[in-house]
Amino acid sequence: MAWETIIGMEIHVELATKSKIFCSCPTTFGAPPNSQTCPVCLGLPGTLPVLNDEVVKLAIKAGLALNCDINLSSKMDRKNYFYPDSPKAYQISQYDLPICSGGRIEIEVEGKKKEIRINRIHIEEDAGKLIHMVEEPHSLIDYNRVGVPLIEIVSEADMRSPQEAVEYVKTLKSILEYAGISDCRMEQGSLRCDANISIRRVGQEELNSKVEIKNMNSFKELIKAMEKEEKRQRELYSFGEGHKVIQETRRWDSGKGRTVSMRTKEDAHDYRYFPEPDIPTIHFNRNLVESIEKMIPELPEAKKKRFKDFYQLTDKEIEILIGDKPLAEFYERTVKVGAEPKIVANWILGDLLKLLKVEELQGSEIPIKEKDLVELLKLIETGEISGKIAKEVFETMFKTREEPKSIIAKRGLTQISGEEQLERYILEVLENNPQSVEDYHGGKKQAMGYLMGQIMKATQGQANPQLTKEILTMKLQNLK
Amino acid sequence: MRISVEEVQHIAKLAKLRFSTEEAEKMATEFDSILGHFQSMDQIELNLDGSRDTNVVEAPLREDKASVFGDQNKLFKNAKKLQEGYIQVPKIIE
Amino acid sequence: MELRTMSIDEIVTGIKNRKIKAQELIETIYKKIDEVDPILQGYLTLCKEEALKQAKQIDEKAMKGEKLGKLAGVPVAIKDNICTDGVLTTCGSKMLEDFIPPYDATVVKKLKEEGAIIIGKTNMDEFAMGSSNENSAFKATKNPWDIKRVPGGSSGGSAAVVAAGMAPLSLGSDTGGSIRQPAAFCGVVGLKPTYGLVSRFGLIAFASSLDQIGPIATNVKDCALSLEVLQGHDPMDATSVREEVKGNYLEEIEKGIEGFRIGVPIDLLKGGLNEEISKAIEGSIENLKELGAIVEEITLPIVDEGLSAYYIISSAEASSNLARFDGIRYGYRPKQFESVEDLMERSRTEAFGEEVKRRIMLGTYALSSGYYDAYYNKAQKIRDKIQKQYEALFNDYDLIVTPTTPTLPFLQGEKINDPMEMYLGDIFTISANLAKIPALSMPCGFSKEGLPIGLQIIGGAFKEDKILRAAYKLEQKLQVTKNVSVGKEGI
Ligand SMILES: [Mg+2]
Ligand SMILES: [Zn+2]
Repeated sequence: MAWETIIGMEIHVELATKSKIFCSCPTTFGAPPNSQTCPVCLGLPGTLPVLNDEVVKLAIKAGLALNCDINLSSKMDRKNYFYPDSPKAYQISQYDLPICSGGRIEIEVEGKKKEIRINRIHIEEDAGKLIHMVEEPHSLIDYNRVGVPLIEIVSEADMRSPQEAVEYVKTLKSILEYAGISDCRMEQGSLRCDANISIRRVGQEELNSKVEIKNMNSFKELIKAMEKEEKRQRELYSFGEGHKVIQETRRWDSGKGRTVSMRTKEDAHDYRYFPEPDIPTIHFNRNLVESIEKMIPELPEAKKKRFKDFYQLTDKEIEILIGDKPLAEFYERTVKVGAEPKIVANWILGDLLKLLKVEELQGSEIPIKEKDLVELLKLIETGEISGKIAKEVFETMFKTREEPKSIIAKRGLTQISGEEQLERYILEVLENNPQSVEDYHGGKKQAMGYLMGQIMKATQGQANPQLTKEILTMKLQNLK
Repeated sequence: MRISVEEVQHIAKLAKLRFSTEEAEKMATEFDSILGHFQSMDQIELNLDGSRDTNVVEAPLREDKASVFGDQNKLFKNAKKLQEGYIQVPKIIE
Repeated sequence: MELRTMSIDEIVTGIKNRKIKAQELIETIYKKIDEVDPILQGYLTLCKEEALKQAKQIDEKAMKGEKLGKLAGVPVAIKDNICTDGVLTTCGSKMLEDFIPPYDATVVKKLKEEGAIIIGKTNMDEFAMGSSNENSAFKATKNPWDIKRVPGGSSGGSAAVVAAGMAPLSLGSDTGGSIRQPAAFCGVVGLKPTYGLVSRFGLIAFASSLDQIGPIATNVKDCALSLEVLQGHDPMDATSVREEVKGNYLEEIEKGIEGFRIGVPIDLLKGGLNEEISKAIEGSIENLKELGAIVEEITLPIVDEGLSAYYIISSAEASSNLARFDGIRYGYRPKQFESVEDLMERSRTEAFGEEVKRRIMLGTYALSSGYYDAYYNKAQKIRDKIQKQYEALFNDYDLIVTPTTPTLPFLQGEKINDPMEMYLGDIFTISANLAKIPALSMPCGFSKEGLPIGLQIIGGAFKEDKILRAAYKLEQKLQVTKNVSVGKEGI
């Protein structure tokens, strides 16, 4: 009998604000330990939280981008738990009146489209970071991350495979990036996902015990962890040990490549939620929602369609470009400056991506100016440099940020298009390679290629290939 | 008894407090008297599904401007032990 | 210089006219403290050096004829749950016995900006939980009128030092009567403002939705003046009110109460109340009538159930507010512990006193799964109902007058073993906190034994002006305050 996998996702996303959710400490990643803290985020006695207005706006924006209902009134609640990562021993979150409810996004897996429903989005604060030292008898705490604003996006259990779940996260990530809600850097923890997985027989109505998996820090780990958990549960059910699948939280141990039990339902927390008395009701009007709606930029779905219709790129090209927001933006800016859409797409997806990868740079860190790239493409088009030279020039542009013309001038890379000049090189090559000339006349046409190569070598690649070929053919005819 | 000693010990666990059996017994007795008084609340007729609307005060929001506190020495003066800027605590089991 | 008879206004004017030197005044205060406080035990920490420095600066300013603040040179005592930058702030708890805040509470900042001089921190029931100051981890403050008796609580230290002439002004905090009850017991004037009128930033929270900081002084005008300094919006406190509601109390205070409609819960004066208190209140009511007020009988909003709702809400919030005291970042830490878990449990178990633990337990229980609706949720609904009933009452009445306490100051140790009995003492004061409305306690007479009796005046939200007008006129008429200074020569 067939089994089916049920997956729901809870995604925590750090919002792209300048300051923390309840105090004015900056949110910069990677600052020295505890340097971005103050009495408020350290929860020192007597301090009070005051909600950051941008947090509310970004949460509304997220709700709109994910087709949610925006609740004009919502409230903050306290989630009480003792753990050293929480300096107040409670997290300020939203319990029964979140800022956004309902919502949906469309994902595509193996060409098939599917809608995933979103249950809610709520605002909350991040916790501090604990550093567990294996060798030492103590742990260390860095509270820089405490109070960094988060939204938690809770999906319905609509996904039926780890692939769908990964696709859901990818789609969500790109929407949030496009809308400027978060930088969504999984490796820095600004996007974190927890998956709830359960297995049941196909056709069965009720759900079996679900297992929550935490601590997956990349798409690779995400899929691995979910597949492992899916396999673990399926095996238990198939061997009649289904009772061993219990409601629990398991942590993905990427080193060991398996999930490890953290806590079961029995020792689950009693969070004792109650309304946060220090923060009055969050209340805003339709106008604010409408003004935020107007600020939402084009989202990935619409952009894909436009790239196809307008630039006539292939699906593969579109996927790569749109998958990297800054790259897609660079592409569009370059086209706007005057590049031919199809040609510049080739450069960006080919040479540019390769160089970015080698230098370990992000799409947001492209060192080339749009106008320089357009200039380069013009030089190729007019025949001033060959495609081969252009690649070299491009690499130099990438490394030195110089303009293409100055690179070409400095290194004398202009294409030799003067017939007289070319003729001199060609005659010299023919004179030095009598054997090849003979071969050519004897019917070995590939000798032509060899001779072209020699000419290119003599001109250091600067010979205009078209013209060279014409003159060479003529000269060979003459020698017959 | 409205609350058992076991229940008192369960609540103590949630509150991160420890009580000896005698203390817990005493607490249970006190709770009994206090919770007994609380029963008077049941005599009040309440609109149980009525929303709490008397208190709707809008939250004043803070502008998203960043600034640093600055004086870290002062800020962490009460910490028992620091190590290179981190707060050092006994080993925490995940 | 006899401080007990000097008003704040006299001090400020004296300093401005250079008739009084701030340095001398401060020296006098500390001399008085040296004499009296070993008996009364009102202060936990003194800041003499800093206070003298401040006084010197004020004197220099006065000499140069520079502009001086509204409270220039006024010595102020601060309850020890209000944070003072660089000065020990213990909350009367072993948990914070060595805690030094790195910042000033907004009220402290405001006082300093107006030239007030912080002279010390006053004793209190641990984390403001208690009505007798016997719950302090450090000492039990005595009642200046009879040192065998309690000064009330939790702001007992703040009330006692003002009553004994060890400060003309102090700050207290009031969650269920913690300013008014000790003010009544010590024969001074204490005001709990409307929730939100005074910033709570820097007040170590007991119950966030009920706590409010307010002044304790020897007379009504001093309360009015200091409230003008303390009030106003604070961007650091989201529950503080908009700037517009600030009042000009001193301007209004002389206006009188001709035609004021005052409600009195007559039934409460009859049933079970201490007879002497009852008589003193009735006498005051007659005086209010003579001042032109129209007095009518009313029924107070659900009193008994309000008390239950109060204890549930305040304990629930306290259980969460006090969770941060876990020995990790600051505060008490046991000598030995085996793990972080052990450290947290031991810190809390060893450093919190009995009453604090009782309330944390009660609050944790009321919020725990399965009990939330039966307790916390129901209590919130009762609170709403009380709020609405008060709103309706204040449509018809300008003010409501009640006793502040059902009993006279009790003996030390008298009620310590019966928490419920102690809780019942808050019966008249808690509803103003639940309804977020202002209320003041002022002396209205003495018992045969010479113990002060407090009268409570409650007003509608942000109607502190009306309360102060009534209290001021009544004070003039009763002349109780003047008697007080004579009565306390014996210490
Ligand atoms: Mg969460
Ligand atoms: Zn901060």
